[in-house]
Amino acid sequence: MGAIITAIEYVYPENKVTNEDLGKIFPDYDFSKFEEKVGIKNRYWVDEETAFDLALKACKKLFQKYDKQEIDYILYCTQSPEYFLPTTACILQDKLGIKKNIGALDFNLGCSGYTYGVSLAKGLISSGQVKNVLLVTAETYSKYLHPKDRSNRSIFGDAATATIISYSEIDGIGEFLFGTDGSGYDKLIVKNGASRFSYSPDAPEIVYGTDNSYTDNHLYMNGPEVFNFTNEVVPNFTKEIIQINSKDIDNIDQFVFHQANAYMLNFMRKRLKIESDKFFIDLEDGGNTVSCTIPIALKKYSEFINSESTIIIVGFGVGLSWSGGLIKIKSKL
Amino acid sequence: MKKVDFISGLAEELEIETTLESATNLKDLDEWDSMAAMVLIGYVSNEFGVTLNADDLNEITTVESLIERIGLDKFN
Repeated sequence: MGAIITAIEYVYPENKVTNEDLGKIFPDYDFSKFEEKVGIKNRYWVDEETAFDLALKACKKLFQKYDKQEIDYILYCTQSPEYFLPTTACILQDKLGIKKNIGALDFNLGCSGYTYGVSLAKGLISSGQVKNVLLVTAETYSKYLHPKDRSNRSIFGDAATATIISYSEIDGIGEFLFGTDGSGYDKLIVKNGASRFSYSPDAPEIVYGTDNSYTDNHLYMNGPEVFNFTNEVVPNFTKEIIQINSKDIDNIDQFVFHQANAYMLNFMRKRLKIESDKFFIDLEDGGNTVSCTIPIALKKYSEFINSESTIIIVGFGVGLSWSGGLIKIKSKL
Repeated sequence: MKKVDFISGLAEELEIETTLESATNLKDLDEWDSMAAMVLIGYVSNEFGVTLNADDLNEITTVESLIERIGLDKFN
């Protein structure tokens, strides 16, 4: 008994922010070099909308070609929930008019979220518990970014994606592996506002890196440490994924990693000795949308395939957390 | 690696438009930003197998101090 990804849709907020727009806010910074190295031309940020609003749109787009009453489980990945409680996935069931005899849960992961979701969906399906899983990723990091945090404002964009994973006679989802290192929990963090530290209106502005600012109410990323973690962990982890699926690197048609930044992706690609046409890099439009980058990339990649494609997907980031596995896609998603 | 080759390689990687010398303070360069720091980490990792962490980046000033952090034994 197997499972397969059958459809993916995604949406961005309407508000498009180009590098020229950011250049007006940060006139001393040359965004042309950023664009060339990091590979991002524009990102989209919500105004009043929430991640949930984006998720609704992505799901409705998906339901134009998929019967929502077939869904019997919702996995909702976000770090931008509607409320502390209740679970956002429950609200999604109601707002989308999906039947009530289904399972629904949120899970809190960032850039490793989509690969976790695919693996969880596979587990639910292959253990015979359900047939069709709706996997949603929805993120609005823009709400966490300090106005003067140039680096992170350049990188992160908002988005939501909706994926259907269904029971299948063929094994469209192979073996997955996971990794966790909570000692790096503060390398990428929004410190205040939850249980450990309350939101503080007087939180002092902290300058970090090169002329960036944040407060403990905002998102902080230790860029160098996250970069080093990724380069130390992900290339070997990718080799392990290939191995556990009894494949060689040459058997893989495409590598779709979390689209964090083009420089870092190319760095890892070269370490793994993968040709650039087999390694997906496209952040130009949208930037780093956290758990949304892999499904967006899969959707784009699937536009160009006309036979079965064997793909390795790998997510990595906040946690620190990483996961990945092998999937097969037969046609346009 | 010869120091002179390292410095010219570094200037190329960081796309430095002025002349880079041992005494140049990297942080004073117009080109220095978090992206340059990322490129520096990548270059040093590839050439020497040495990982520069966030503290190293804070402490490094001149090119010479970077060379000392990498390890003088790696240069001839």
